[in-house]
Amino acid sequence: MDEQVHPTWAKVVDQSRCIGCHACTTACKSENLVPLSVTRTYVKSVEVGAFPQARRNFQVTRCNQCSDAPCTTACPTSAMYRRPDGIVDFDKSICIGCKACIAACPYDAIFINPEDHSAEKCNFCAHRLDVGLEPACVVVCPVEALIVGDLNDPSSRVAQIVNREAVQVRRPEKQTRPKLFYKGAHEATLDPLAARRPPGGLYASSTQPAGHAEIGSGHPGRATSSAAALLSYDVSHQAPWGWPVTLYTTTKSIAAGAYLVVLLLCVAGALDWTSPLVQWAAPILALAFLGVTGALLTFDLEHPERFYLILTRPQMRSWLARGAFIITAYALALLLQLGAAAADAIAIVRAVAFPGAVLAVVTSVYTAFLFAQAKGRDFWQSPLLGPHLLVQALIAGAASLLPLAVWLAPSSVAWLSWLLAAATALHLLFAAAERTIEHSTAHARLALHAMYSGALGCYAWTGIALSCVTIAAPWIGLWAVLPALGALVAYDHAYVQAGQSVPLA
Amino acid sequence: MSESNFKRLNERVSAAKRDVEARGETFYPGASRIHLAAFPPKERWDDWIELDSRSWPERSERRYMLVPTTCFNCESACGLLAYVDRDTMGVRKFEGNPEHPGSRGRNCAKGPATINQVTDPDRILSPLKRAGARGEGKWTATTWDEALDDIAARIRRAIVEERENEIMYHVGRPGEDGFTERVLAAWGVDGHNSHTNICSSGGRFGYAAWMGYDRPSPDHANSRVMLLVSSHLEAGHYFNPHAQRVIEAKNNGSKLIVIDVRLSNTATHADYWLPPIPGSEAAMLLAIAQHIISTARYDREFVRRWWNWEEYLSEEHPDEQPAFETFERILSRMYARYTFEVAERESGIPAATLRAVAEVVASAGTRLATHTWRSAAAGNLGGWQVSRCLFLLNALLGAVATEGGVYPNAWNKFVPRPIHEPPHPKHWNDLTWPQEYPLALNEMSFLLPHLIDDGQRRLELYFSRVYNPVWTNPNGFAWIDMLTDETKIGLHVALTPTWSETAFFADYVLPMGHASERHDLHSYETHDAQWIGFRQPVLRAAREQLGETIRDTREVNPGEVWEENEFWIELSWRVDPDGALGIRKYFESKKLPGTKLGADEYYAYIFEHSVPGLPERAVAEGLTPLEYMRRYGAFEIERKIGALHEEPLSKEELAGSDVDALQRVYTDAPAPRGPNVVPQPSPRDPEGRRSIGVVVDGTALRGFPTPSRKLEFYSSTLARWGWREYALPAYIESHVHPSRLGEDRMVLISTFRLPTQIHTRSANAKWLDEIAHTNPLWIHPDDAARLGNVATGDLLRVATESGYFVLRAWVTEGIRPGCVACSHHMGRWRLGDMGQRQFSAVVRLDRRGDLWNIERTAGVTPFESTDPDTKRIWWTDVGVHQNLTFPVHPDPISGMHCWHQAVTVTRAHEGDAYGDISVHAEKARAVYRQWRELTRSAREHSPDGTRRPYWMLRPLKPLPAVFQLPDPTAHG
Repeated sequence: MDEQVHPTWAKVVDQSRCIGCHACTTACKSENLVPLSVTRTYVKSVEVGAFPQARRNFQVTRCNQCSDAPCTTACPTSAMYRRPDGIVDFDKSICIGCKACIAACPYDAIFINPEDHSAEKCNFCAHRLDVGLEPACVVVCPVEALIVGDLNDPSSRVAQIVNREAVQVRRPEKQTRPKLFYKGAHEATLDPLAARRPPGGLYASSTQPAGHAEIGSGHPGRATSSAAALLSYDVSHQAPWGWPVTLYTTTKSIAAGAYLVVLLLCVAGALDWTSPLVQWAAPILALAFLGVTGALLTFDLEHPERFYLILTRPQMRSWLARGAFIITAYALALLLQLGAAAADAIAIVRAVAFPGAVLAVVTSVYTAFLFAQAKGRDFWQSPLLGPHLLVQALIAGAASLLPLAVWLAPSSVAWLSWLLAAATALHLLFAAAERTIEHSTAHARLALHAMYSGALGCYAWTGIALSCVTIAAPWIGLWAVLPALGALVAYDHAYVQAGQSVPLA
Repeated sequence: MSESNFKRLNERVSAAKRDVEARGETFYPGASRIHLAAFPPKERWDDWIELDSRSWPERSERRYMLVPTTCFNCESACGLLAYVDRDTMGVRKFEGNPEHPGSRGRNCAKGPATINQVTDPDRILSPLKRAGARGEGKWTATTWDEALDDIAARIRRAIVEERENEIMYHVGRPGEDGFTERVLAAWGVDGHNSHTNICSSGGRFGYAAWMGYDRPSPDHANSRVMLLVSSHLEAGHYFNPHAQRVIEAKNNGSKLIVIDVRLSNTATHADYWLPPIPGSEAAMLLAIAQHIISTARYDREFVRRWWNWEEYLSEEHPDEQPAFETFERILSRMYARYTFEVAERESGIPAATLRAVAEVVASAGTRLATHTWRSAAAGNLGGWQVSRCLFLLNALLGAVATEGGVYPNAWNKFVPRPIHEPPHPKHWNDLTWPQEYPLALNEMSFLLPHLIDDGQRRLELYFSRVYNPVWTNPNGFAWIDMLTDETKIGLHVALTPTWSETAFFADYVLPMGHASERHDLHSYETHDAQWIGFRQPVLRAAREQLGETIRDTREVNPGEVWEENEFWIELSWRVDPDGALGIRKYFESKKLPGTKLGADEYYAYIFEHSVPGLPERAVAEGLTPLEYMRRYGAFEIERKIGALHEEPLSKEELAGSDVDALQRVYTDAPAPRGPNVVPQPSPRDPEGRRSIGVVVDGTALRGFPTPSRKLEFYSSTLARWGWREYALPAYIESHVHPSRLGEDRMVLISTFRLPTQIHTRSANAKWLDEIAHTNPLWIHPDDAARLGNVATGDLLRVATESGYFVLRAWVTEGIRPGCVACSHHMGRWRLGDMGQRQFSAVVRLDRRGDLWNIERTAGVTPFESTDPDTKRIWWTDVGVHQNLTFPVHPDPISGMHCWHQAVTVTRAHEGDAYGDISVHAEKARAVYRQWRELTRSAREHSPDGTRRPYWMLRPLKPLPAVFQLPDPTAHG
């Protein structure tokens, strides 16, 4: 490749040739030693039509090698990265296992390898391309339905097909500009919600994987295609983020809200800057919950021992990396505030307050940007999420400060109670807006449906009910604390899981 | 690795076009047709460096030796390249072999999954001997020596005591051409038993009736129209090689017509998918034929020259003018009744669709590639007429042995003459070839338990190999009954790499190698060419390449795993240690007479003496022929074989020959000793002279190996052996014809295959099991609604004539209403700890008198093993075993077990549980007796006092004299 700058590798999957034999699947497993329960590539199958005008449609399903790959943007350590030749590759030695790439991928093409606990996916068999060999799936395919080539080389078959024939990509609206082009694919396979999910936990010759983190494939209700389409084969897809992430949103809300609320009360005159609640209790509470937040995040990593890589080799487009720095900065501000309090330097306490407040707000809100980086998960890309998280921080802050205020600053208890009630009312307003305003995509609508029905529904409705109780804070005082925090945990869990409950592949 | 180091590595090992060509090596272009190669250049196969995928992006180098072998999953026998790690001397992976002419470097899912079978933690690694009662599940370790001595002593005793017919070898997929048949011939026993009558003999019989040869070799790649009655884009004969060529042809504009009751992956690709009422396929094909005849679009010249119309006229219309025009008139009159409307009534396919399809077929000219294998021919009473009516279309259009047409398989097959050729046996085993089935194309294998019962017979020794009759055959409980009864089976030796339901009931379980652990030689009709493929123990080849001497494959195989070639040689020596029985000489070295023949010499001899062109090619590469085959694994002898029937007989052949009234040429001269010993039908005249050709338009041509030496539109064999009504291609109403089905019955299609499994042989491949592991009952939404709003996943009970099984529903538009379908492969079971844990349910087997029951006690669970993956097994379901509930349905002519079942489908009854199986043995026996009534025995119908037409193909064909029926008065 000396004479040219770089190729731009792309693949064409010719579904008009594909016979659904799964050779690519096992050849890939063999070449890349991919364990059971996960897969870099598989052949999805959807039956369309009514007897005898029926057809089984296949889709070789895998990483799209996006030109604008959300996984590389989301990765905090550049473990997922784009090579100059366009291949989205990965380096397992620096993967911390945060699963941000999995959350970010609109195609659910990435997984954690249960053997080495690092993220992996199809990388066009880069180790073969680099020694002049075609990828394993291309070589094995009995019917030459898979081909690889350089988009910059007009004589390559790939370039010819892409430029001269009717090709499609999966989910172009995600603006990832995939370099995996499908020829002759059916809409019912390309759209993850076009085909009905079969009942009974079955596919035509296999079973639907079960498990609490399992994302069911196909549409569980009324599918989006008006063609009669039934999913007849798919594989396991796991929701990347579980309880630790839910709890992290709540603990982070407490950490951000505790400090923010006392500052608000100071500005409003409800608290004095010298109050121990302001000088000691709130910053300590915030720091403690930042610590818990950090612990939860680390605990959720597949490689907790590598957590420091976020700070030592950050990839700064990643909101996970940015969040780490925001949290760190916020923690430093809190430490500075505590130091000033110890030195009895009220001026410094007051001086730190403004940047501290900003950092608290950013700490609470950045998660909205983190979730929005999950490009495939439409439900999370709500413009309401940022303000909503801020309101949640106020709830969490007010609720967690309330018992301390009873002890350290009884005069502020009423203020806190009213703030808690008001913020909770606002939270319910956000929740109501989320629930009632029509979402723009089938994906988001299905996620919303999942949030308020089935297993998640019980969390969402518990959260709502507890919030209703919390509104009575001015009258029930300390009795509102646990409902307030419980409401957030329950609601956030339903929200976080619902966002991941919709199949992407 | 730095950029410059990387560049150096590239220069050293790059398979990219420019680098390869700069080094003067072979560039293997791939599907992408760019500078990337599909395979490393063959010049570097001995020491190829690849980058390790697991440590990527660190560029860590791994050194491999690439050694070819042949896949042993389905019958396609595709080439594989084993990547032998030079540091560990273990196999890292299998890829395709670009030097293989059939598979051309490509594979299906089962090729790469071969590595799973090699590393399978449940595989059998050393010989085992039964400890408790047979079938009790208790085993002790034994040695090869002990097992060989015991088995050899029993064989010797049986031979010496003239109980030759008590020795039986029962094989599923042979995976080789003739080695084991010759072992049996050397022992002088008619002990070959195959699986063919539960597989393909229905299809074969129709072809054999036409052309003597019992299999087609369609040239899909060059066709204009392809008509498939089976699912060749996903199943065997020859899945991957044919799928390549079918799709290639489709992309070149060839039209694909698929007849299949269910939506197969093949039907998915069809331009016309015709899902008929099961059993009506022949009626549809006859309507197409009728259209071609009535519109005079048949190849008149071909029909005139190559159909046996003269014989037909002289036998059936002796009073008519013996002219071709007469025949055309009769042909047209006879087939006029097969109208599209009649076909519509029988098949449920609209006449207009059939007419459109007939037009497409008629437009194919001589480029009509047709194929049927199993499917309808294996499903229905009279299913053999399906392949016969299918080939009728080729015969009408002259698309026989033409580019894009259909060849006789033997012309596209090469079986090299071996080092020793033992004579034909002097015995006739009527346990496999009973007199009731004189025309059965193959052994009546699946009747064995019934025949043993009927005749109060016994087998001293029963070998099962790559075969699982307890599971695969109909009425498996009868097999368990027979195998557990020591008065019926003296010793059961299971030759198998892995546990099976049949091996549970063995006395010895002897572990044999997988695809990369054994020698075999074979050739298949994947396209218009002749090639041989070599299966070899790859570690043996690799270590020999590194300078070691390996004399026994056990030296390189895991544990004490062996291979059959060496096993049979060793066993035969122990049967006849001093050579007194005349057996040992067939297993001796030619170089050093009196010493044991080794695998190296056996194959070296074949490659040096019997494969034209191979020695020359090897010399050009500086190799011996054996070294060449060890290095490349396959060799193409010839391409474009062409129309051998049109080949004129040579002067030498014609010398001393005679021509009879029907222009057939016979000779007394012995058959010339060519290098290709592919089995051939052997028509003779009443004096026993060989038929060698036929005079057509004044020229003596080779013709076809049928009694008429032509394509037999009219089968004098069927006419003379009691089946005159079926002497012509015709439609036989199936045993599941709607008129016989009854109100509440549906037709169960039980034989369809999935592309990712192969019979009961792939349970040991975790990647395949993960993809496909259950077999719900395909049922149309209308039928599901009729049964009470049945939804996918609901439990159903399927009742056959002799029992029932309980499984889940798969409600799909991919099946004809009134039919249900359940995939083959699934429902594997084990009785205890022994067995394939990743793919079998633990069951309780219970027998009370005639009532057999199986209950599932546990599904699959993850388990600890040498393979960390077994802890990650996530599926629990393995499907339900249906074949146990099928009584035998032997077709009275072809001998094929007619698989389709008339069943009653209901919601599961109260108390039914998933996986329940129940069978009433007496009901199953009654069905056997009922079908036996349909036969026309050789005793009553043989035209010449023989057991079977001598000319027909038969494995291990005995000497002609043995064909004489025994004197009934002398019969004991």
